[in-house]
Amino acid sequence: MITNFGYVLLFIITGALFVGVALFVSKLIRPDRPNDTKLMTYECGEIPFGDARIQFNNRFYIIGLMFLIFEVEILLLFPWAVVFKEIGWFAFFVMFVFVFLIFIGFIYELGKGELKWDIPAPLIPRYEENVGVIEEEEKRETVPSAKKL
Amino acid sequence: MIEQALHSISQFYPEIVIILTLCVIIVADLIIKSDKPVTGWIMLGGLVISGITILFQAGQNGSFFYNMVVVDPFAVFFKLLLVLAGIFVVLFSLQSKELDSYYTRKGEYYMLLSGMMLGMMLMVSSTNLLMIYIAFEVTSISSYVLVGFTKKETDSAEASTKYIIYGAVSSGIMLYGISILIGFTGATDLAAINDALQNRADIPMILNISILMILVGMGFKIAVVPFHFWAPDVYEGAPITITAILAVASKTAALGLLIRFFSVSFIDSNGLTATGIWQTIEGIHWTTLLGGMAALAMIVGNLTALRQDNIKRMLAYSSIAHAGYLLMGVVILAQEGLASIMLYLFIYLFMNLGAFYVAMLFSNSIQTESIEKYKGLGFRAPLESIAMTIFLVSLTGIPPTGGFVAKLYIFSAAISGGWIWLVTIAGITTVISLFYYIRVVKNMFFYKPESNEGIIQFDLPSKTILLILLVPILLFGIYFSPILEFAKNSVQIFGM
Amino acid sequence: MIEIDWYLALSAVLFTIGLVGVLIRRNAIVIFMCVELMLNAVNLTLISFSSYHGDVTGQILVFFSLAVAAAEAVIGLAIILAIFRNNLSVDITKVNLLRW
Repeated sequence: MITNFGYVLLFIITGALFVGVALFVSKLIRPDRPNDTKLMTYECGEIPFGDARIQFNNRFYIIGLMFLIFEVEILLLFPWAVVFKEIGWFAFFVMFVFVFLIFIGFIYELGKGELKWDIPAPLIPRYEENVGVIEEEEKRETVPSAKKL
Repeated sequence: MIEQALHSISQFYPEIVIILTLCVIIVADLIIKSDKPVTGWIMLGGLVISGITILFQAGQNGSFFYNMVVVDPFAVFFKLLLVLAGIFVVLFSLQSKELDSYYTRKGEYYMLLSGMMLGMMLMVSSTNLLMIYIAFEVTSISSYVLVGFTKKETDSAEASTKYIIYGAVSSGIMLYGISILIGFTGATDLAAINDALQNRADIPMILNISILMILVGMGFKIAVVPFHFWAPDVYEGAPITITAILAVASKTAALGLLIRFFSVSFIDSNGLTATGIWQTIEGIHWTTLLGGMAALAMIVGNLTALRQDNIKRMLAYSSIAHAGYLLMGVVILAQEGLASIMLYLFIYLFMNLGAFYVAMLFSNSIQTESIEKYKGLGFRAPLESIAMTIFLVSLTGIPPTGGFVAKLYIFSAAISGGWIWLVTIAGITTVISLFYYIRVVKNMFFYKPESNEGIIQFDLPSKTILLILLVPILLFGIYFSPILEFAKNSVQIFGM
Repeated sequence: MIEIDWYLALSAVLFTIGLVGVLIRRNAIVIFMCVELMLNAVNLTLISFSSYHGDVTGQILVFFSLAVAAAEAVIGLAIILAIFRNNLSVDITKVNLLRW
């Protein structure tokens, strides 16, 4: 007979196992080719520090939008999960249809190459002696600055 | 539970077909790399199959999915209209030159269009506030994107921005109205709301305000004054095919929703059988409101249309005016009024789609949407110009076209309902509308073309489509009794 | 126990703030934030009525309205991206090509 604390303990152990096993398995499978860009903070070539008001890559925005859509669909899974036990296989079938439709949307997104990340050279503000941050100011003449947003 | 769900699914085939079409289009768009518009043909096939499954639902009267969706003659009639409009719009899209420069995104266009069809079909058949809201939003969200489909053109992107801002705000207001209504009645089912309201001794003022708020959302979709400000801009900026579906199908669906919502929720069911005219629940005054809105729509729509030069914009104002005539049928509160609305919608579908189609053909071949530039077109493209003339004459409501019959029925129903002042306004504005419709005809036929402008050739498919749109208008101008019978048989609304 | 009136008053105030924000702000992104505020005010109304009646339908509607609001926000932001590419600005007073 497991007490409530026992459940919590089991939960903690399972959680720890999940992390450990996942890390270990991916260590075995993944290719290991460290380079300069990959060893930076965000592992993707974005500059980790500097002025907050730079124009960052548009892809972040688009991928953020896509993430938002798929994330909010999770919301509808919660009430389903609560009543799942009472309704049984029928509920499973209903949610299968729902997730399948989302999955088709995801396949489309993937197939259209919207998740590809070919990044153009980031705008790096360059500091010059006596002149200040000239590069950035010039950029702001041609492309509207974050302030206008 | 499973039995009921399976039984419900068997009544849900039209919508399921549309959903499957959407999925097939998505997959086909990924797999098939062809120059031919495969996705468009898939959608056409899906719509035809869906239309056939709707025909099998004729005469049924029942409620499904735990009272979320109904299949009744009223819904079947509206769904048929919507699918018909959808089929025509897909046929138009297959020929549109405007969309051709976005050929890599054609798949997206058709999947959004099928999403919009799904939303509209649910709009006319849902009886639960939850379902109504979702169907409303599915339609809106797809149409926001479709309006901005040709996004590299500045006016399309602008139209889309205006549309989504108006749309988001008015649907927010509608949701607030819905939440107050739910709070006061404690029910989301339309029939249950009716019960709850009839058992209340007093109707608080806030309830009337919530009805007004719900009317904002629906009025936005129907594009009736004073919620019409988006319509001209959006109609002008959107691709013509999308303008056509917004002016016809979206309006039809919203009107179906409005009729179902108001006549199920706020009708006093004790006064149903005694006379032909129904009574609203005491203390709720939405008919006066709707009557005022109808009058305003007729006046504003027709007067503003007088000074438009862009054909799409002119048709937009004319569609606002037509929304006014249609609402006139709603306020009568009688079987007769609803039947006349359905007849009107049926003929409106053909004449308005026809006018948009000719406008699209002209825009394809001479790259203009300006009425001034239509000068001399009557000699360069005689058949199309004559067709346009017939569509416009029918929109005005002159015999022997279908438009005359439609207007006649709605006017006579309003007179027998006692709305004399409304009919007077409608009559005067109809005369005014003649001026701007005739201006197009005048420009086409009363000016000689420039010597360097030759005859414009149109291909066979476009002539066929034009003929299909033309025949019903001329036919129903003379022989309209079958469609009137069909409309009269279709006014049974579930739960009323 | 806080009475339901207070919740309703709060949501009405939030809704009004959102509506006024939509009417007076010029930045398209801020307008969408205001629309979200309106929708969330409605959610508050629904939830408070739902707990008042002891009935979960209102809460279910909130789930759907949240999902719809997210979809609407995504479409709105994508459209803002389109006008930004054309106008190089998200100021909606510059979106004035189509008039009368």
